[in-house]
Amino acid sequence: MSVSELEADLSADERAGLELIRETGGIHQSDFWKELDVSSRKGSRIAEALEEAELIERERTVYDGHNTYFLEPTARDLDFSLLMAGDMLSPFIGEEEIDPQSDAFSQWLMNLAYEEY
Amino acid sequence: MAFEDLLNDPVIQKYLHELVGPTGMPVAAAPPEGEVTDEELAEELGLELNDVRRALFILYENDLATYRRVRDEDSGWLTYLWTFHYDNIPENLKEEMDRLLEALEEREEYERTHEFYLCDVCSIRFEFGEAMDFGFECPECGSPIEAMENDRLVEAMEWRIDQLRSELNADVGN
Repeated sequence: MSVSELEADLSADERAGLELIRETGGIHQSDFWKELDVSSRKGSRIAEALEEAELIERERTVYDGHNTYFLEPTARDLDFSLLMAGDMLSPFIGEEEIDPQSDAFSQWLMNLAYEEY
Repeated sequence: MAFEDLLNDPVIQKYLHELVGPTGMPVAAAPPEGEVTDEELAEELGLELNDVRRALFILYENDLATYRRVRDEDSGWLTYLWTFHYDNIPENLKEEMDRLLEALEEREEYERTHEFYLCDVCSIRFEFGEAMDFGFECPECGSPIEAMENDRLVEAMEWRIDQLRSELNADVGN
């Protein structure tokens, strides 16, 4: 099933939760249910459902001295075009080492400064 | 064909092209559903078996394909059954964004803290110390070299660093 199909199956609460996680770029579950204005149990159920559908990642963490989860969008949601400068892809792809002084990277930076910025 | 929504992204197309090169691109651009042998792919795409295998092994090295080997009972030959794992592409590209950010941060620091001189004729750039050692003359052609502003470069780098940090949530500890 594609991502858009999975999203179409969400309830209104789940959709609002997903929006919130995408907007914040990542949020602790203890803040998540307060922001959504639902009970902590309900917030937890929403987060679990979104994780189950692989629309978010949910990782155990300690926050403000208590155990909770950190909820963040999956890599699928990232804006990969940030790897591009003009029509040039990051020169480090396929390379073992990154060399910030390499000629290829200098070329990429020139594209960034004079074509995009 | 599988993973169509990913393959519609031009950056992902470009990424695959960068990995497998032009000859491997027909293999990388049309991942079949389920398992497939290298011979089937070669026949279907009208490619040399070696080119297909090369592309498949590059995808394998990048966690984008796996294989299992099956021995034919009669001939004793090994067959490789390949499965494409393009669901790993977003994770790979996230890692590339992290690596790019790291390089940008290091280079931005260098650009910001150094002064540069340029030979207009040869388009060669020198650090201040080098320029002084050469008496502010280009060692290649002898023309005078002039101080060079890199403000625009630094600003563009800061702009992209901010974009990447916010996209990757790099400024929020968790």
